[in-house]
Amino acid sequence: MKLSISPPRSLETKRNRWGWAFVAPGVLFFSTFSLYPILSAIWTSFHNKKLLSLKPPKFIGFQNYAKVLESTDFWNSVRASATFCLGVFVPIFCLSLLFGVLIASRSKGRRFYQMALYSPAVLSSVVTASVWAIMFDPRGLANQFLNGLMGTPGIDHRWLADATMVQVSTMVVYVWKMVGYYCILFVTGIGKIPVSVIEASIIDGANAWQRLTRITMPLLRPTMALVSVMIFTNSLKTFSTQYLFSQRGAPSRPINVLTLNIYNTAIVEQNLGLASVMSLLLFAVLLLFAWAQVKAGGSGEDM
Amino acid sequence: MKKAIVSLVLLALTASLAVAQAPVVAAAKGKNVEIKLWTHDDANRGPLEKQFIAEFMAANPTVKITYSSYPSGKILETLTTAFAANQGPDIFNVASGSAIPFLDNGRVAPGNYKAVGVKNAAELEASYQPGSFEAVKREGDIYGMPLELTNMCLYVNKKMFAEAGLDAEKDYPRTWEDVMALSEKIVKRNGQIITRRGFDFRYDAYPNTFVPMVEQLGGQLVSKDGKTAILGDEAWLKVLQYVKDFGPAGKNLGSPTYTAARTEFDKNTGLVAMSFSGLYQEARMKASNPAFYNSKDWMVVPFPQWKNSKKSVPANYSGHYYMVNAQSAKLEQEVAWTLLNYMLDHGEQYLEKVAIVQPTQKLDQSAFYKSMPYSAVFSKDFAAAKIVYVGKGSSRLNTCLKEAFESVMLAGAEPKAALDKLRKDAQAVLDSED
Amino acid sequence: MKRKFGIAGIGDLLATAILVAVSCVAIMPFLFMAGASLMPGSDVTAIPYRWIPDKPLWSNYYRALKGSDGSWIYLRNILNSFIVATTVATSSVLLASSVGYGLAKFKFKGRNIVFMGIMSTMMIPFEAVMIPLYLTAVKLGLQDTYAGLILPFLTSAFGVFLMRQYLLGFPEELLDAARIDGCSEPAIFRRIVFKNATPAVATLAILAFRGQWDNLLWPLLITHSERLKTIPSYIVRYTADLTADEGTLMAVAVIAALPVFVLFFSMSKYFLQGAGVYTGSKT
Repeated sequence: MKLSISPPRSLETKRNRWGWAFVAPGVLFFSTFSLYPILSAIWTSFHNKKLLSLKPPKFIGFQNYAKVLESTDFWNSVRASATFCLGVFVPIFCLSLLFGVLIASRSKGRRFYQMALYSPAVLSSVVTASVWAIMFDPRGLANQFLNGLMGTPGIDHRWLADATMVQVSTMVVYVWKMVGYYCILFVTGIGKIPVSVIEASIIDGANAWQRLTRITMPLLRPTMALVSVMIFTNSLKTFSTQYLFSQRGAPSRPINVLTLNIYNTAIVEQNLGLASVMSLLLFAVLLLFAWAQVKAGGSGEDM
Repeated sequence: MKKAIVSLVLLALTASLAVAQAPVVAAAKGKNVEIKLWTHDDANRGPLEKQFIAEFMAANPTVKITYSSYPSGKILETLTTAFAANQGPDIFNVASGSAIPFLDNGRVAPGNYKAVGVKNAAELEASYQPGSFEAVKREGDIYGMPLELTNMCLYVNKKMFAEAGLDAEKDYPRTWEDVMALSEKIVKRNGQIITRRGFDFRYDAYPNTFVPMVEQLGGQLVSKDGKTAILGDEAWLKVLQYVKDFGPAGKNLGSPTYTAARTEFDKNTGLVAMSFSGLYQEARMKASNPAFYNSKDWMVVPFPQWKNSKKSVPANYSGHYYMVNAQSAKLEQEVAWTLLNYMLDHGEQYLEKVAIVQPTQKLDQSAFYKSMPYSAVFSKDFAAAKIVYVGKGSSRLNTCLKEAFESVMLAGAEPKAALDKLRKDAQAVLDSED
Repeated sequence: MKRKFGIAGIGDLLATAILVAVSCVAIMPFLFMAGASLMPGSDVTAIPYRWIPDKPLWSNYYRALKGSDGSWIYLRNILNSFIVATTVATSSVLLASSVGYGLAKFKFKGRNIVFMGIMSTMMIPFEAVMIPLYLTAVKLGLQDTYAGLILPFLTSAFGVFLMRQYLLGFPEELLDAARIDGCSEPAIFRRIVFKNATPAVATLAILAFRGQWDNLLWPLLITHSERLKTIPSYIVRYTADLTADEGTLMAVAVIAALPVFVLFFSMSKYFLQGAGVYTGSKT
């Protein structure tokens, strides 16, 4: 509730100027370190720019765009990114929702479960990749674990060697790392459902399952939308696991996701023009998701 | 007291000796010169080079040299971005296969022969073994000094041969067919999982070790004129098939996702009986496992050939060159070349401490080189070897090769299909206009 | 505490069983890391794997810190990581809360554009702007300095978003009361808003700290001197050093992970609450 006497209009405008004062340092920062680089990428995407060349880059119109769209490597990367994105989306979404609901239903040990599940997210990606690479060694834990589970001693599941398995492996690492994070979002989301609504349903005689399907799930929809978009955008930005695995001898093509391709095109092939085009396309897709997020009420005014 | 004086005198003597050794750059006298040197990590080489630099700075008090080293997998990225911002170091070190873009874009300064103490490029070349400058020669000028050139031979663990009922001295592999057969005798598995490998490839060295296999059969990676990629289909198909048979989908003898064979080899824990490496591996072995190094349990044999090789081709060599930034000022360039010459003049110390081989005539003839175990095996192969392909797009071709071999070995592709794709990709690299 | 979602009897037991099992899976690689860091390399890939080392090999830690060249540079790298991560955490909080406050509580011209602009930068993958960013940093003379490591990460779009969401729910009455008392706007921000935003501030600080602790690519590009390198580049270097054994490598990894875990356990409340801020609690 605002104060009953609203301040005179001129005072309000004057005060609102302070808004700019608070925002200005941030605007300066983002213009320098985010906006400028992206504008520069747009400019570069229309130029024939080689990283090491001393000659001024030539304007070549849409040639870089045409080249990227014709390149099988690019489409392979689109495939790799899309596969990864969908491949992690389903397990992360389902598992984090399931665990979230289960954790919220516990009266004891909530904190423990949340911390245990969240802990992988705390580990740095370089460490994560080194640890998992050792576990995925043919003689490593991953084979022993899976063979123990399925009673198939001595099978090499070729975690990093097989074209399909290496994709699965990157997904396993990612799901392991991220489930806890999203799970906590769900726990919090459930926690925000007003107790009165639940109580009312208990009085109406709803059982646990009915409460879950008829009340919790529908009321959780905003959180679900938020989590979905976050999984999509974050998984499209995945880089380090793929990068470090391919450096350790895993075949690169199956896991050559867009970010990895951009990186290699810029640094190894030294073709900044092509790398910029791919960056912008990826950026556009991510913006689209962000827009979807706003539409879904994820970050709107009245969230 | 007396002792102290003696040691002081000794200290002064050694100090003055060091100063006397390092050359003085006359032009830099009284002028502040800052030189940045970037190289890749090497636990043995770093301290040695830092020592040379300290000596050089003592002789040239106005010169300040900063030495930075980077993980070897990362230095190219760092160098490239720094050069893109025109912030490249004065002296830098690149692998032979990565030198091309730097040379093509005019980023590298030609040799300052006076600073190196020779009359011209020809005289510099003459003091090295033939072909040493092939990767860095442009229109008669030399654009880099070899830090090392490495060719690979086959390290053999004799004890593991004996355990498999073999006598390494007699049974060591001469041919690729031998390599496969011996691997099958030595390999041990737990189900499909290999717990002991006979031989395994060197998967970071496609141009060094896989391409010669093709060349032995008459195939080529790139034609002489540099215009056509992948010649001699039969040779390529045979090698691709061999690798497919060797890999997990075939006889399951090895794969790139096991620990690098040369690392396991040094540990001598019975995991790998044969692996490729250069002479430098001896120093690594000596440092990480002196007991094994000093034992008589290992030997080195020449690079294998095919039973029906069309010609004998040893492993292709590759190496690293120190280069000078073309954007550095004239004086900096002169100091840089003088420093490089001074550092690299210590070939024997590089060999002794780091076991990297500079291809100089002097070193090849030195008693120390000859005293290193199996150095003769390496020299003999080296004399017949050529450098890896260092022409246009060499690093991208490397990626194409890696993909082709991985696809047959790991992804179940047929050699024919893999070869067609390899040809298409490799030709595209040669045809691209940059 | 009132149970909102009782699932009675067997279901209860099942739920607990699932959660315990999942927790174990989540923690398993940590146990592996800890155990392996005390083993000789050959035991790390032994079949069958034994989780607990026969005799803890503490010398792995000594070797991890000393490094293969005996320079003890890892200690310096750890210090650098601390310097960078704490500075970024601090600045991130200050800047993001200021911008977030401006966006949440003032209706100035162009506010929506500023907000959407900042939000869209959240969608830029770092690899995409890495090179332009590097060129900018060089123009600003940031190469090979602590400033170069820190400045590009002073704050983050995500941080701004987080603070804005949190402050949207900040009671207007408190602000107005302070204004009537004659408080200046900066003073209101300092004394009232910032002080009462502890949960969001702590969450953001932790996120920023973790982000820098994890940063590999940027420090590699922008620094050249040994004295400025950070932990991740040491790990990459250690992994690439083929003479290193797996046990020691795991010791290096444990050392790198330890500080973040201490932070995580001591501030777990904020770690977990952070998510709540994110989903937009209006409390």
